[in-house]
Amino acid sequence: MKNIILSAIAVAITMVSCNQKNKQEETVNSETSKPETATVKVNPTSFSIKEIVTNYLSLKNALTKDDSNATADAGKALVETLGKIDMKKLSGEQMKTYMDIADDVKEHAEHIGDNAGNIAHQREHFVLMSKDINDLIKTFGTEQKLYQDFCPMADEGKGAIWISELKDIKNPYFGSEMLTCGSVRKEF
Amino acid sequence: MQLYQPARNLGYRQDITANFTKVYNVPKNVKNILRTSCYDCHSNYTNYPWYSNIQPARFLMESHIKEGKENLNFNEWGNYSSRKQKNKLDRIVKEIKSNEMPLASYTLIHKNAILSSSQKQEVMNWIEKTSDSLSSKY
Repeated sequence: MKNIILSAIAVAITMVSCNQKNKQEETVNSETSKPETATVKVNPTSFSIKEIVTNYLSLKNALTKDDSNATADAGKALVETLGKIDMKKLSGEQMKTYMDIADDVKEHAEHIGDNAGNIAHQREHFVLMSKDINDLIKTFGTEQKLYQDFCPMADEGKGAIWISELKDIKNPYFGSEMLTCGSVRKEF
Repeated sequence: MQLYQPARNLGYRQDITANFTKVYNVPKNVKNILRTSCYDCHSNYTNYPWYSNIQPARFLMESHIKEGKENLNFNEWGNYSSRKQKNKLDRIVKEIKSNEMPLASYTLIHKNAILSSSQKQEVMNWIEKTSDSLSSKY
C-alpha cells in the first residue's frame, strides 16, 4: 500500500514538474517578444556610455538627498538603459571589457532598484557600482566633465569613490548627515 | 494544492568545472561550512528536508532557492567574470558579518546551519585573503 502511494506521488511530481518547466519557458518567450518601448537613444555613429553615466548620476543625486525611492527608480532606469546599449560598434576585446563591467553594473542596479526603503543596502551596492562606472569612463571616455570624488569614511571606514558632474562635494554615502565630506581625487 | 510540486533543485547536467571549489583551493573546514550553511539555496543541489513534500513549505522553499541562486550560485562561480567574483566575495563577507546570511527563517529549522563566531571568522578570514590576492591582479 505504502509503495503504491509513494509511486503515485512520484508520478504526480514528475507530471507537475514537467508542466512547470513548459510554463516557465512560455513566460520567458512572451517576455522577450514584448515590443520594446525605447526611449534611450544610442549615438548611431560611435559607441557611447553617456546614457549609463546619466542614469548613474541621477542615482547618485538621489542618494545625496537620502531619497531611497528615487534611488530605486534610478536603479531601475539604469537596468533598462543597460539592456538597450548597442554593442555592435565594439571590437572583440572592447566588448569583453564592456560586458564584464556592464554585467556587474546591472546586478548592482537591480539590487538598488529592489531595495527601496533600505538606503544602507543601496549604498553598499553603490560603492561597487561606482568602481564599475569609474572603469567604464576610464575605458570608453566621457564628453562630459566628470570628477572622481573620494570619501574616506564610506564603506565601513574603508573609503569609497563616486563619480560626480559637480565640482562641489555632495556626498552620496552619507547624504544630509555629512553632505560635504570628501574630496575630488581626479578629473575626467 | 499538495499536487503542486515544482521541479526540484537537484542539479542534473552539472558543469563541475565552474564549481567554487574548482576555482579556488578551498580549505576543508571552510568548504564544510559553506556546504552546511549556504549550499541549500546557493548551489544547484539542495538537501531537501522531509517536509519539502508538503505545501506551502515547498513553495516557499523553491522561491528562496530561486532567488538565492540568482544572487549567488557556488556551482556557477567559474562562469562569473573576475570582476563579479571579486564583488561576490566581498558581498559574502558583508552578509555574514551583518548576520543577514544565513537567513533567520532558514536557521530556525536548520539549526546546524547557524554559524558560530569562530566559524564566521574562519570563513571571513579565508575569503578576505582570497579576495586580496585577486585585487592585486588588477
